[in-house]
Amino acid sequence: MPTIEVSYQDICSLIGQTIPKKEFQEKAVLFAKGEIDEWEGDSLKIDIKDTNRPDLWSAEGIAREIQGRYGNPGLPEYSVKKSDLKVIVDKKMKNIRPCTVCAVVKNLKITEHVLSQIIQLQEKVSISFGRNRKEVAIGIYDLCKIKPPVKFTAFKPDQLKFTPLDFKEELTLKEILEKHPKGKEYGFLLSGLSEYPIFIDSANEVLSMPPIINSEYTGKVTKETRNVFIECSGFNLKFLLPALNTIVCALADRGGEIFSADIIYPDKKLTTPDLKPKTFSVNANTTNKLSGLNLQPEQICTLLEQARYKTKTKGNKIDVIYPAYRQDIMHERDVIEDVIISYGFNNIEPVVPRLPTTGGQEKIEEFSYLTEEIMTGLGFQQTMSYTLTNKESLFRKMNLPEKSIVEIENPISSNWSVFRNSLLPSLLEFLSKNKHREYPQRIFETGDIVITDETKETKTKNIRNLACAVTHPATGYEEISSCLDAFFLALGKTYELKETAHPSFIQGRAAEIIVNRKSVGIIGEIHPKVLNNWELENPVAAWEINLESILSLF
Amino acid sequence: MYKLTEEGRKYLEDGLPEIKLMLFLKKPAPLEQAKKTIKNFGIALMWAKKLGWVKIEKGMLVPLERPKTSKTQEALKNFSEGKANENEINLLLERKLIEKEGAVLKKAKALKGKTISTLTPELIKTGLWREVKLKPYNIEAKGKTIYPGKRHPYARFLWAVRRKLIDMGFKEMTGPLIELEFWNFDALFQAQNHPSRDWTQTYTLKHPKKGTLPDKRLVDRVRKAHENGWTTGSTGWGYKWDAEKAKQLMPRAHTTACSARKLAEGVETPGKYFSLSRCYRPDVIDATHGVEFNQMEGIVIDESLGFKEMLGLLKMFAIEIAGAEKVRFYPDYYPFTEPSVQLSAKHPELGWVEFAGAGIFREELTRPLGVEIPVIAWGFGIDRLAMYKLGIRDIRYLFSQDLEWLRKQPLFMW
Repeated sequence: MPTIEVSYQDICSLIGQTIPKKEFQEKAVLFAKGEIDEWEGDSLKIDIKDTNRPDLWSAEGIAREIQGRYGNPGLPEYSVKKSDLKVIVDKKMKNIRPCTVCAVVKNLKITEHVLSQIIQLQEKVSISFGRNRKEVAIGIYDLCKIKPPVKFTAFKPDQLKFTPLDFKEELTLKEILEKHPKGKEYGFLLSGLSEYPIFIDSANEVLSMPPIINSEYTGKVTKETRNVFIECSGFNLKFLLPALNTIVCALADRGGEIFSADIIYPDKKLTTPDLKPKTFSVNANTTNKLSGLNLQPEQICTLLEQARYKTKTKGNKIDVIYPAYRQDIMHERDVIEDVIISYGFNNIEPVVPRLPTTGGQEKIEEFSYLTEEIMTGLGFQQTMSYTLTNKESLFRKMNLPEKSIVEIENPISSNWSVFRNSLLPSLLEFLSKNKHREYPQRIFETGDIVITDETKETKTKNIRNLACAVTHPATGYEEISSCLDAFFLALGKTYELKETAHPSFIQGRAAEIIVNRKSVGIIGEIHPKVLNNWELENPVAAWEINLESILSLF
Repeated sequence: MYKLTEEGRKYLEDGLPEIKLMLFLKKPAPLEQAKKTIKNFGIALMWAKKLGWVKIEKGMLVPLERPKTSKTQEALKNFSEGKANENEINLLLERKLIEKEGAVLKKAKALKGKTISTLTPELIKTGLWREVKLKPYNIEAKGKTIYPGKRHPYARFLWAVRRKLIDMGFKEMTGPLIELEFWNFDALFQAQNHPSRDWTQTYTLKHPKKGTLPDKRLVDRVRKAHENGWTTGSTGWGYKWDAEKAKQLMPRAHTTACSARKLAEGVETPGKYFSLSRCYRPDVIDATHGVEFNQMEGIVIDESLGFKEMLGLLKMFAIEIAGAEKVRFYPDYYPFTEPSVQLSAKHPELGWVEFAGAGIFREELTRPLGVEIPVIAWGFGIDRLAMYKLGIRDIRYLFSQDLEWLRKQPLFMW
């Protein structure tokens, strides 16, 4: 969720009136789906909850939404004047970065504050909405320094040099990726390409290498800049068009005049931006059923006008016209939510639904709880650990050969890169971290393990297991096998032990736990080699069983 | 040294049973009558016969002599007065009326009149406790700390929350920890190419990579909802849906995947469901982000549900589970609900805190899964609540590996 830094005074001046702070916090900001995160002097941090409405991620957007409820309802009008600026898209861009949409905004009065707002909006849109510049990269340039037409083309990494923003010397494209901080940060977006995308003007002045960096000369907007050229580049017009609309409408709210640009593709021509409002319709009955508000169509229209729609009613049908910067309306519901927001969530009396249902939990949870009771009764401390672990703990430290397990491709850390296929390593790890604590130590865990299983829809299966371990200088197999016996006695089930060889346990002191002629677990005294691997200094005896197999006996 | 056995002491006081029998047998008497009258009749008869004092004739017990005492009786008397000779001692030992005095008893005797701290079984058995003084303790000093079996504080908390939900009429729903992108995203109407898919950062799997999609008709409805809205009245996302992407496996990022599975499997109407289990997101681990976390969420299904009921449900949670006094609602956004709301609750100690979120599932989600009536989806920040209720500041302590902490942490109760 984007957090936007704005000035309270600036927002109030954009709204056109000063809203008292308390009211701003408790009522006004909610109209923009915002919540005040921090308020220090004039500086406000606002969390905007809607990640699908980039138009709200700026002081201008927030003000626009609030304004509708404070004396200025209805559709905000934006006009686009024609300009003769052309952007020519090279046909080789098809496989590099195929799309761009552009605009010109003139007669801006940019203050320090406005400049920081423009940069913030550009950042938020390209990061949160543009999937970290992959889908949408945005460039804003000083129009006076550009000689149209602009060409959107591509160059080989060593073929072209320009001075990137905030640098003094010219670098090749390759060098920019290696040396410029933005090159290092976003270079991966160009990996695998033999040519890099470039905006360049008719005087061969480079504008930028999207989605990495602008040039220092054309791509630096300052307080003195009056007219700007804006481009958005990416792969899909569906994302690029609303991104461009968001930026130009914000600039227009600052007094700028919007001009179009012609984008000449090899096979088509586009004129952008397109700020023609869009249409949708909602039904008053549906609105009332969903909201529970029982409103007349006219009342619904008033609330929608406050949310910056233009409306027209035909009986219960309400036709709406909404601004082009919105790209989130797909379903009647999306419009109805705006009716409720205008009405005010906190003006609605909650109704607790009284539904005759019966509660209950999964059998395995019930059973886990029962076994936990038995284990605590036997004097064991319950532990809880992560289902994520690493191969080192599961295999090498347990003296086991590697086998097929569920593995994460993009782990945060190699410590948590695979799913555990047994609980015993979790218990040994726990003991290894508590060597200096008072003995005896008796611990148990009920938890899920995950194994691969070709027969399942997800090719994996999670299983609820129970494992316990005891350690102190005098412990051994007898102690843990008494616990197992007591465990089965408490469940009223019979079991048998069958000697087995298991590399984690001492030879001759390990057995399979057999229930109903089926192996459901393992018991034994941990092999000293394994103890050494975990740097444990006292003997450890342990067992682990599959609770689901035992539950199936009930 | 010797001492009287329990039996010896009794006979000394009451007389030997055979003597008592003979005193009773003034004339021949029926066996049955003697049996009823004389205590320890078996022993009495055995010794009386052995000594030639009686015979049995036709069910009658006939006295042959009239002894008033016996060697044994004399020996017992002499022993008690400390005058028994060696023969008498042997006689009594043979009949187990006296025994060698044990070391413990000797010790106990040595304690006579003294102040002692330990009350022993010997002192209790011999009655010598009457002759010692039991030392009073510093009774206000606390006992030594011991560490018996105990539940994990967080597990105990989760159990209590689970109980609460069941009491409120919610039924549990589950799903696998490793999930198809289909259930984690597609069935929840999160477009494959849209930023809303990045709503949460998620893990992907290296092995295994892909699973198999569920029922073809279901998958087809979901595909259409994405591409053109199907029959839901939506425009859809307007792109070409890719089944291969939906087959990819991932550790589930939210338990909303369980809700999707439950809706597709079929739900009761009215229906109230919850899930409370592990989820996975690649967050950088710090005081507020653990390696794994638990999510508590669920769905409520009924024809009568709307926005007001959704607020009511959240308010009920705030009061029942969070112990809040006042609530406030904020517009919110989830890719799979519309409208959506966030609940902030005023807690007596914490002030205003974000506690829960909810929304009405989009029709693009519910209808392809076969549900035609409103479904409220709700979720609760359970780990945050756990931290507060357990009084911890670092979320990593929820999965603490510090045995000392686990041993000393109190257990939770509402």
